[in-house]
Amino acid sequence: MKKYLFFRVINILITLYIIATATFFLMKQLPGSPFDEERLSSLSEEQRMEFYAKYGLDKPLHEQYILYLTNLVRGEMGDSFYFKGQDVSGLIASRIGPSALLGFQAVLLGFTVGIVLGIIAAFKHNTMWDFSTMLVAVLGVSVPNFVFAALLQYYVGLKMGLLPVAFWESYSSSIMPTLALSLIVIALIARFTRNEMLEVLQQDYMLTARAKGLSQFKVIYKHAIRNALIPVITILGPIVVSLLTGSLVIENIFGVPGIGSLFVDSIKVNDYTTIMGLTLFYSAFFVLTMLVIDLMYGVIDPRIRISGAKE
Amino acid sequence: MNAAWTKKISILLIGLMVLLAGCNFSGKSSTESGENKEGDKQEEQAEGKSENVLNLSLDNDIPDLNQVKTTDAISFAVLNNVMEGLYRLDENNEPQPAMAESYEKSEDGLTYTFTLREGIKWSNGDPVTANDFKYSWLRSMHPDTAGAYASILTDYIKGGAEFAAGEAEADAVAIEVRDDKTLVVELIQPTPFFLGLTAFVTYFPLNEKFVSEQGDKFALTYDSILYNGPFVLTAYDQAKGVSMDKNQEYWDKESVALEQVNMKVIKEQSTALNLYEAGELDKVYLSSADVDSYKDSPEFNTETEFRTYFIQFNLGKEPFQNKNILKALQLGYDPEVLTSVVLNNGSEPAYGLIASDMAGVEGKSFRELQGDVFKPDAEKAKELWEKGVEELGKTPEIELLISDDTVSKDTGTFLQSEYKKNLGIDISLDTQPYSARLDSMRADDYQMAVNRWGADYNDSMTYLDLWANPSNPFFRGNYVNEKYKELVNSAAEDADNQSRIEKLLEAEKLILEDGALGPLYYDGLSFLQKPYLKGLVTHPYGASPDLKWATVQ
Repeated sequence: MKKYLFFRVINILITLYIIATATFFLMKQLPGSPFDEERLSSLSEEQRMEFYAKYGLDKPLHEQYILYLTNLVRGEMGDSFYFKGQDVSGLIASRIGPSALLGFQAVLLGFTVGIVLGIIAAFKHNTMWDFSTMLVAVLGVSVPNFVFAALLQYYVGLKMGLLPVAFWESYSSSIMPTLALSLIVIALIARFTRNEMLEVLQQDYMLTARAKGLSQFKVIYKHAIRNALIPVITILGPIVVSLLTGSLVIENIFGVPGIGSLFVDSIKVNDYTTIMGLTLFYSAFFVLTMLVIDLMYGVIDPRIRISGAKE
Repeated sequence: MNAAWTKKISILLIGLMVLLAGCNFSGKSSTESGENKEGDKQEEQAEGKSENVLNLSLDNDIPDLNQVKTTDAISFAVLNNVMEGLYRLDENNEPQPAMAESYEKSEDGLTYTFTLREGIKWSNGDPVTANDFKYSWLRSMHPDTAGAYASILTDYIKGGAEFAAGEAEADAVAIEVRDDKTLVVELIQPTPFFLGLTAFVTYFPLNEKFVSEQGDKFALTYDSILYNGPFVLTAYDQAKGVSMDKNQEYWDKESVALEQVNMKVIKEQSTALNLYEAGELDKVYLSSADVDSYKDSPEFNTETEFRTYFIQFNLGKEPFQNKNILKALQLGYDPEVLTSVVLNNGSEPAYGLIASDMAGVEGKSFRELQGDVFKPDAEKAKELWEKGVEELGKTPEIELLISDDTVSKDTGTFLQSEYKKNLGIDISLDTQPYSARLDSMRADDYQMAVNRWGADYNDSMTYLDLWANPSNPFFRGNYVNEKYKELVNSAAEDADNQSRIEKLLEAEKLILEDGALGPLYYDGLSFLQKPYLKGLVTHPYGASPDLKWATVQ
């Protein structure tokens, strides 16, 4: 187990190094500079170079790269070019809160509702219950969440006045964005759970469990769900990462001061340090989540041994 | 099993609480808006607004409130209302005395002596002195502290450019503090719009003691700035926006009616519109898709900016040595169709280079004095084109360089179809990201391009100067005309405003007759504004809006 973890961590560090390097060089291929182009064009070539020199952007690319990596190892991501005078780690820290809350709530809601719907559909296979649940699932996958968000905002927020239209001012501000984000999670999880449940219900051990005289609840909870959940865990990783790291569109629609739009904006304005910082943050978060999920397999299904077959 | 479940659920709940704690809902405004919302709405409908609170939106994050470094319109919009320069622009864009009570100009138009008002104070009660201006202006120019707007000082103040380049000491800059109330500035050349410049953000004063106390933390939070304008910030979050209260130390607080202003970041235009409909915003800018549905509303209006979009013909490239081809492309499209059918966003068709309302002389605008100098003429264009093709002996290939945003692409497609219709030719589009387009133009690697120029100050010189000297860093298109050059350069040294403007009027006429540029439109915006909101002043350039005189009764 320790050995496994050790190799995984080494693996993660190598992955992050490759991502950092690739992003750095790709990013430098973007046209333009992190400074206001219209203003900068009104400077002479000499003044421009002086301006670049102030931020170390006049050095050859490999020197900039080595400097960046050295700073990174020291734990410094540097100051944002756009939000002048603010360091990138602080910037991420100040924006991650709202995005993480929305993501967390959406995952929680999406999983609970999705699994329940999936189970109902499986047990009432080929009935109205099944059809209507699957209709919701198909709609959820095919209707983009920003359409759903805009509808929610217009009807629930503006017409009925039940929830705030936008802004981030009280807990009720987070309800509509959470609903909008969780729609696709509900749909995906419900479909997945249903299919897995249908398969599990065919298994011999289900018959055994029933024959033992276990109650319906125990059969479902102890034998069916537990086995049906394994594949569901697999899709958990990408969903968690994409939701917890913020959604550009949903955040913009509801005026949430989150991290989603920061990434897109930083690319638009060539804010090099912020692009690097966020890419590394996302990647690190992703690989760590994957690690946690791999560890979770072992807990849910004792047949999976993460330490390898040798033991 | 029960114990295990309780444990799991409590872990989840704790996680949720940690997240809630970390996501900074603003406590103060949440209780206010939560409890009062219903009441507010009903009263609003009955008799306009009950409180003196104005709610506006900002269309992106606030990048930087450090006035010496900041360069973007959103930061300007905030700073313009919490700070004040020697002068402040009124609703006609005329500079009015603000921190200064009066000024004297020397006969050659080069030396300005400002007398500061009695009783002007910073928000902490300290007096605003002449030295606060000198300190701030030097800081805005110093190579270590300056931002990209330093040139708005160094272009005018004598000795500024040398100081900014690190070649001269601060003493060599011609800003003199005669006493606490007297500031003397010497300029490089007569600048009739200098008073207007002192109303701009980079010219605002700074309190030296306070700024050095704050060090690196200056202007990062609302309490790390000292204010001298009509309002003071009470909350500042780059991603959420700002709240401001009336400044009790402001010299003219009797003129300020609003008690509180909120400017909140809303990036999505449709959301801003919903908020406006819900009564949570008092003014909202419309996307062109929404213009048609609101065009007939009494709350609908438009405003234009000092930003002209035009075609820059590159006279150094084939086939523009041929005057007929050049003029054919200049006359072969109708700007009216572009603004009313394609853009539909409040922009105004351009029949000249200088935007309407830009200052002329004696209360008349430049445009009023000049009239239209450019008349599109499809028939003549066709004739000239055929003549040009004959002279060249072949049909030239034409490529138009544009940026990749929606408006530029629409403009490109519009020109393509107009040339097809009027001249019977197919031109190709070279679409590049915004900064790549600027790079291409800087490198002189283009044939013709859709370009734009936003005014830095309220004078036609900001445009006409661009083509006068190839040494100008923004000189594009290789237009060379000795007469034009002489007109603009002699206007720059002319201390008499009347003859100066006459020269500039002639220069505009000349450059358009020569066909170096093809005017497209003056940038405009459509917006909705609540009927109870009055006195909200916007400016077509520089720092806007100005909320000092706004009322919501």
